[in-house]
Amino acid sequence: MNLVPLALYAVALVAYAWHFAQRNPVVGRSATTLLVAAALSHTFVIGMQTMEAGHVPMTGATSAISTFVWMLALSYLYLEMTTDERAMGVFILPLLVALQAIPAFNPSIEDRAEVLQGPLFGIHVSSLLFAYASFALACVVGITYVLLFKEIKAKHLGFFYARLPSLQVLDRMNQGAIVIGWIFLTIGIIVGAFWAAQARGGYSALDPRVQAMSLQDPKIFVALVCWLVYSFELFAARRIGWGGRRAAYLSAVGFLIVLFNFVPISYFFSKSHNF
Amino acid sequence: MQLLLIGISHRTAPVELRERVDFQVRGVAGALRALAERGSAREAVVVSTCNRAELYVACDEAAATRQDVVRFVSEYNGVPAAEVAPHIYEVVDLEVARHLFRVAAGLDSLVMGEPQILGQVKDAHTVASDTQTVGPVLNRLFHTSFAVGKRVRSETGVGSGAVSISYAAVALARKIFGDLNSRSVAVIGAGEMGKLTALHMKAQSVQHITIVSRTMAHAARTAEAIGGASAAPWEELDAVLSASDIVITATGAAAPILTKAHIEAVMRPRRNRPLFIIDIAMPRDVEAQAGEIEQVFLYNIDDLQSTVRENMARRASEVSRAESIVRDEVDKFGVWFRSRGVIPTVVALRERFEAIRRAELERLQFKLSTLPPDARARVDEITHLIVEKLLLTPTEQLKSLNDADTVGAYSEALTRLFGLSEPEERRKVEPFARNRPPTTRR
Repeated sequence: MNLVPLALYAVALVAYAWHFAQRNPVVGRSATTLLVAAALSHTFVIGMQTMEAGHVPMTGATSAISTFVWMLALSYLYLEMTTDERAMGVFILPLLVALQAIPAFNPSIEDRAEVLQGPLFGIHVSSLLFAYASFALACVVGITYVLLFKEIKAKHLGFFYARLPSLQVLDRMNQGAIVIGWIFLTIGIIVGAFWAAQARGGYSALDPRVQAMSLQDPKIFVALVCWLVYSFELFAARRIGWGGRRAAYLSAVGFLIVLFNFVPISYFFSKSHNF
Repeated sequence: MQLLLIGISHRTAPVELRERVDFQVRGVAGALRALAERGSAREAVVVSTCNRAELYVACDEAAATRQDVVRFVSEYNGVPAAEVAPHIYEVVDLEVARHLFRVAAGLDSLVMGEPQILGQVKDAHTVASDTQTVGPVLNRLFHTSFAVGKRVRSETGVGSGAVSISYAAVALARKIFGDLNSRSVAVIGAGEMGKLTALHMKAQSVQHITIVSRTMAHAARTAEAIGGASAAPWEELDAVLSASDIVITATGAAAPILTKAHIEAVMRPRRNRPLFIIDIAMPRDVEAQAGEIEQVFLYNIDDLQSTVRENMARRASEVSRAESIVRDEVDKFGVWFRSRGVIPTVVALRERFEAIRRAELERLQFKLSTLPPDARARVDEITHLIVEKLLLTPTEQLKSLNDADTVGAYSEALTRLFGLSEPEERRKVEPFARNRPPTTRR
């Protein structure tokens, strides 16, 4: 069932690329329409899975990716509709298509482990997924910032100059996305720590995964590294004039760590988060 | 009906002549009325800008009308015909459409793809509309040209990219800062160049302009001339630089006045807010290495010139796409225009039928007079409906014809079969057919 949104995301990607190359307004509107259709079908799929399983499908790594893609698509659509800028679509859509391919070809919904019931866990996962979606947007905006910056600096005003919004707008979008991401990352980590402390004191304290929940676990450790990177970015942009290109680079580095934590570490290394 | 264009433009005439053949001097509306009085044109629009003076005319016979229009151009502007004639170009029918579409799209402009011309063409049409010298043909022609201008702008890159230095600088500033109206501008040097650039920035409604000069009196005078700007003494240069987003340097200094180290020092209190420096001085006022500083964007006059050249080249490369849009639209217009050749025949046919109906009613008037008035009205109505029904299919068929030969053959046949009068005779009655519907009923 996850194949339908994947197909729509892929078609929307083609439309966004076409729009980016040709700047035809009709193609641009079609691209947005296709992405809205993809997000709606994805909403439907997630809704059906929730009904079927009795909980939102985000407890396992695979279904969490699907939920993340859905949140990212919605966040991007929000950004596009509030700023009326479509140029970033061509950078976001490849990420959506690549990540959505994982749940699309591996569609099982994992049973929710007994230990994961309760509202705190829901808050933990959903705020982290939302934080990651914001960081993904910040990263893409940052990449476009660097591309445009380089063109202006090199005095060769060409492809991106004609297509992207101003550096100032990109910088503001980047900072905004990082602030929102950072807030949700902080909430997610704190709630996670709180939940883990509760679980240890409860009847599932003997679960080996709960026991592995410490700073030594790669997933938790890398999440804290992320938090440090983004905290530094926010501080540097405000206090030591690391705005603009440096902030853009940092947001790209930060998201690479997020992605690394999200896919390979979840699947292969973490002992505490493999539900 | 034929289309005719008589004109001179920057391509055919020197500016001295264009100045004298300028319909705006004595008013375009007056020219249109004067042309209408001559009676040779049925519809007319005058497009008059500083680069062109063109008369678009719909007439019965282009060959006869052209002489009269050329004479009119010379008489109205008081320029001897022998002087104007060598610079005049004239085209007829669909070539007129092609020319106007290219003009509206900016393809015939001095600066390729410039946008003002479309507005000027629209204004020309509005004036002619108000003076009531446009009819169905020129209305259609001009409205199509507006659509062509729009299509070319939105579907090709012919109008994209700045093609003048000052506009290139403004476009760059916008790409760096987005909105300029919360930005401060510093102009260093109180000379003419600095003043002109400052005026240009003021037109972009920037928040504040400060003029810095070695001589405070000069700075104050320039600031006053610009209006709304303030002057600062040379000693405050660093403070002004720190507070500004855009810096324009235009001094006559022989050596750079801003070194890399100097600008680095200025950037520190700014916390690396971007600084856009436009160095239009010659020799340059800013050390080239200053452009290496993070968040400093340094453009000198040559850099701006080369972006202008790149934009010009990009526009030129889009011309063939624009031309194909023009071709496309000329073809579409041609189908409509050729189908109009049949209208006089349609009118004549309807008039003939109506005349027969009236004649018959008159002949029977004696018998009809015994009927009550409402029955007589019914008879009138029924006979009218019969005529309309009979004419419906032939009219539709005629109007759907779109090639000139077929139109000619059909008109010829109908004229003979129904004994229609020659269309020319009717036309002479009313030289200016003002938005009149092609049929006359009752």
